Amino acid sequence: MSRILTIEDDETTAREIVSELHRHGFQPEWAADGRAGLIRAVSGEFDAVTLDRMLPGVDGLTIVSVMRSTGIDIPVLMISALTEVDERVRGLRAGGDDYMTKPFASEEMRARLEVLLRRARAQPRQTSLRVQDLELDLISREVRRGGREIALLPTEFKLLEFLMRNHGQVLTRTMIFEAIWGYHFDPGTNLIDVHLGRLRRKVDAPGLEPLIRTIRGSGYALNASA
Amino acid sequence: MRSMRRPELWRTTTFRLALVYGAVFAAGIVALLGLVYTSAAVYLTQQMDEIVVGQAHALRIVPPAALPDKFREIVREDVRNVNFCGLFAPDGAWIAGNVKQLPAGTPVDGRSRELKAPGFQPGARALAERLPSGQILFVGFDAKVLSGLRSIVLRSLIWSGGLIFVLGLSLGAALSLGPLRRVQAVQLASLPILEGDVGARLPTSARGDEIDMLATITNGMMDEVERLLWAVKSVGDNVAHDLRTPLTRLRALLYRVREQIGPSGAHADMLDQALGETDTLLGRFKAIQRVSEIDRRERRAGFASVQLQALVREISELYEPLADDHGLRLSAETAAACEIMADRELLFEAFANLVGNAVKFTPPGGTIRLRLSDLPEGPRLEITDTGPGVPEDEREAVLERFYRGRRAPSAPGSGLGLSIVAAVARLHDFRLTLSDAAPGLRVTLDCWPTAMIY
Repeated sequence: MSRILTIEDDETTAREIVSELHRHGFQPEWAADGRAGLIRAVSGEFDAVTLDRMLPGVDGLTIVSVMRSTGIDIPVLMISALTEVDERVRGLRAGGDDYMTKPFASEEMRARLEVLLRRARAQPRQTSLRVQDLELDLISREVRRGGREIALLPTEFKLLEFLMRNHGQVLTRTMIFEAIWGYHFDPGTNLIDVHLGRLRRKVDAPGLEPLIRTIRGSGYALNASA
Repeated sequence: MRSMRRPELWRTTTFRLALVYGAVFAAGIVALLGLVYTSAAVYLTQQMDEIVVGQAHALRIVPPAALPDKFREIVREDVRNVNFCGLFAPDGAWIAGNVKQLPAGTPVDGRSRELKAPGFQPGARALAERLPSGQILFVGFDAKVLSGLRSIVLRSLIWSGGLIFVLGLSLGAALSLGPLRRVQAVQLASLPILEGDVGARLPTSARGDEIDMLATITNGMMDEVERLLWAVKSVGDNVAHDLRTPLTRLRALLYRVREQIGPSGAHADMLDQALGETDTLLGRFKAIQRVSEIDRRERRAGFASVQLQALVREISELYEPLADDHGLRLSAETAAACEIMADRELLFEAFANLVGNAVKFTPPGGTIRLRLSDLPEGPRLEITDTGPGVPEDEREAVLERFYRGRRAPSAPGSGLGLSIVAAVARLHDFRLTLSDAAPGLRVTLDCWPTAMIY
């Protein structure tokens, strides 16, 4: 069970985060200001942090910088009311792992946090990924389903790799767009759906058990039922 | 377009004023000297007439036998060489005096008049009269004083005129330099305003002269413009911002209910619909905020070298499946290697919106063409579709916020895609134009700064 530190001065937002995390099996703890948050963050008791960018006392950027300089490398999800692109760059440069702007959907916050946690736990020298009978070789860049090779375009390969690394995890369209294409605007739902549709036609050939699932109102997941 | 003329010395008000003053002053001097000259000339002529008449009178009473002696005496005493006199026989032969021949055409009537004959200065006066003895008496007075006066006046005119001209020019230049420098300072200070910084103000001095008055008025207007602009922007922004938070919470609630009732629960479809509608609303508000966010960005803050060719290829790869899904052919033609200074993310967002729009509005079976060409001024990107196009009178309006146009009122989307593109173009100072591709719409983005500010 992951322990999450939520540093957030706005009570409503904090309660939203804490209750969302609680309902999905996390152990959240709330720190209401920068000073208390910093002390808890460097305690080494947590697996990840959600961090408000604007805080009374010590601000978010300082907290993440101090954490990194003291060797605490747990994932930090930065949450901010500042939407400017420069702010995102600044947040990530200071040592944040991901950046979300307020207001946000709490399940997207949770999904992002889960992706960060999974990335932190992943074995560094993985050479292949495997989900059920789907195999992806990271070195030869070959994909097989039940031993039969599937030819993928580079973008499709990246997409499948992202889904497989986070299998069982709901990934929103925004997260997919950011992870695969690296842009941070809203490209419209259709665009991502079409790419997923193409990948799905190759991976989930007729007669096979569908692995890529559409989660209505949220996004996609690879083998989410398993 | 925004262009600015560099101030030139000779165009300044002060300089022109100095010139006009100089001209008026010179005219005054000419008039004054002219008046002095003509009055003096009239007076001197009268004097000369009196001298001539007096002398004739004095000679008339001299006995005829003594006249030649008298004439010699007059000539001897005339050290200034201004007196003319001559005594001629009735047949015109010379008898005495320094005039050896009666000037031709001189009426012998005893009246003093101007002597117009070679050998005499212009303005000289003379008279001729027949003496009782039948001899002709000629008396004249040369106009040496008059011509002396004329040359004095002329010389004064030339010197004073030259002085006024030189002094006027240099004084005008000297006086204009100060205001000119201040106008240049104002011009420099107004550049940021032209660049879009409505917070900038013109400099004022403690002098309170007309330039200060104008600068103060302009600053007042800029205050008002800034206030209004801020008010207009913040209305949209605040509405969008204030509504996004409760909408997000509403969506969270809907989502939670949807999660609890499971995929086959009662009203699951309606809940999905409600979630979809909420997402549409959120997307629209997000787009409004996005436009203001781009407008608020500091110019060139995120600028770096961008390979347009790679960007266009990336866009076409991103949208090819979507176009294919709509039954459209998407082709990209990138002939030249173009590199510009730009904000890559925003440029990508703009291109994506343009291609997204083209896909949305082009009926199945159509074509969307991306073309990157290298013009002498810089790279040009054209996106041409075979859709219904935009009527000419709507082309300006579609770049404004929320304008949906007549072309497809039922098409999905925030209606803000082109506003975002326009905002990105504004930020880069690129020109965005819509034109008729017959059939279809052509959107052209000229990727070079269009403002001409010297």
